[in-house]
Amino acid sequence: MTIAAVLTVAISLSLVGAALFLRQGVSNATTEWRHGVNVIVWFHPSSSVTEQGAVGDELTQLTYVKSCAYRTQTYNYDQGKQFFQSLLGSASGAMTPSDTPASDQCVLKNPNEAAAIAARFTNMPGVLNVSYPSKAIHNMENVTHIAQLSFLIVALILLISALALIINTIRLAIFSRRKEVSVMKLVGATNWFIRVPFMLEGLVQGLIGALVAVAVVSILNWQLDSASAGNTLSTLYKMRLAGGELAFILVAILLIGVVIGALGSAFAVRRFLDT
Amino acid sequence: MITLESVTKTYKTGTVALKDVSMEVSKGEFIFLVGASGAGKSTLMALILREELPDEGRIWVAGRNLANLPRWRVPYLRRNIGCVFQDFRLLPTKTVFENVAFALQVIGRPRHQIERQVTQVLDLVGLADKTNNMPDELSGGEQQRVAIARAFVNRPLILIADEPTGNLDPSTSKDIVQLLDRINKSGTTVVVATHDANIVDTMRKRVIELDNGEIVRDQNRGVYDVDIGNSSGVSARDLVAHSRGRKG
Repeated sequence: MTIAAVLTVAISLSLVGAALFLRQGVSNATTEWRHGVNVIVWFHPSSSVTEQGAVGDELTQLTYVKSCAYRTQTYNYDQGKQFFQSLLGSASGAMTPSDTPASDQCVLKNPNEAAAIAARFTNMPGVLNVSYPSKAIHNMENVTHIAQLSFLIVALILLISALALIINTIRLAIFSRRKEVSVMKLVGATNWFIRVPFMLEGLVQGLIGALVAVAVVSILNWQLDSASAGNTLSTLYKMRLAGGELAFILVAILLIGVVIGALGSAFAVRRFLDT
Repeated sequence: MITLESVTKTYKTGTVALKDVSMEVSKGEFIFLVGASGAGKSTLMALILREELPDEGRIWVAGRNLANLPRWRVPYLRRNIGCVFQDFRLLPTKTVFENVAFALQVIGRPRHQIERQVTQVLDLVGLADKTNNMPDELSGGEQQRVAIARAFVNRPLILIADEPTGNLDPSTSKDIVQLLDRINKSGTTVVVATHDANIVDTMRKRVIELDNGEIVRDQNRGVYDVDIGNSSGVSARDLVAHSRGRKG
């Protein structure tokens, strides 16, 4: 039993777990945006009603805009206050309703047109800014996709080294017990009787490594809870996994650990035990 | 109990270890297998244990045709064959009792049976007072007795000993062979491969001599070296012809 083999299994499976976690978490966090508002046109606080009306008319005439809702300065102020208060506490007091932009919040028939709307309206008189979460979602998905891929590649390399370490450990165990093994063969112990202890050793190594990884992923999920401090609007909070999703990842980790251990020891036993 | 029919064994290196060897060992026989190093004694032992398969010919051990024996049945064949070696092959980390008990543990015998049989066999080999000693606390002769106890504890049909006295002085060797004789008297077939002329000459059992992979002598109540032991000056070749005639 070597610590090296167990640790390598643990680290690689933690990475596998983190990759799965990231995918599920990001998907959870972005679901809300995906089905909600696609584009928000923010009006300059000093913009005139005419300017706002012009923008609003133009928006509703576009074929790919499904609907738009006008949000007053007071409404946005209240929303913002609520949001920032939970994040910053008293600092939100610096803002007033008259500093806050009014907005048109639109749902698109095709969310991919958000960028076109942004390009069209950003420079219109009275418009402060056009934001469209789909761009953020896209960026976030890109980043997490790369992160996931690199996690999985590193995890794969580590899993292969874990496999090699387990094979080596079992090989050493067979070597150090070769006298016993030769006596066992001599007196007629069955091949399985001789093999099973070595195979169990590999299996246990994989399992212990997997259990450590399970602990790491569980702690990660629990940390997201405390890091977001119960703020239901926070992305971190939204990334938490539901019980079933977490259970799926943990079971997957355990299974991979056991399979790695079994594969490694089966190979070592076949190759080096000569029964 | 052991039958070889025209057995030929050639190793991958091209060495012909056995050439057209036929022999038969009946139940309850005691035979010495003699011959110079490289004559094929060890190969014959390996074939009987089915560590090797012959290139030609057939081998029956304890009623089984080894060619038809599937791999997974080999351990069950070996439970019928006890093995003793020149270098004892005891486990240095186990006591005398544990060494002997190990042979029964690994074939899954229940504890009470192990306890009883190990005590019995240690009594038989005269080591009842050394059960808790470690192998390195014993003399060579005592270690070989432990090895014999381990080989015999499961009451095998056949006991094979490869140079059992190779590391022992003459008087201890005599004791060991007498122990093997006692085991033989209980009905176990005993095959001893040896270089030790002394013990062969004292015991006057059946002797099979191998030379260059061929049986050159098969003699009842034989001696180690036919030229010394047989004053009539009959050559080995004559004797083998005689013995083949005997088997008909």
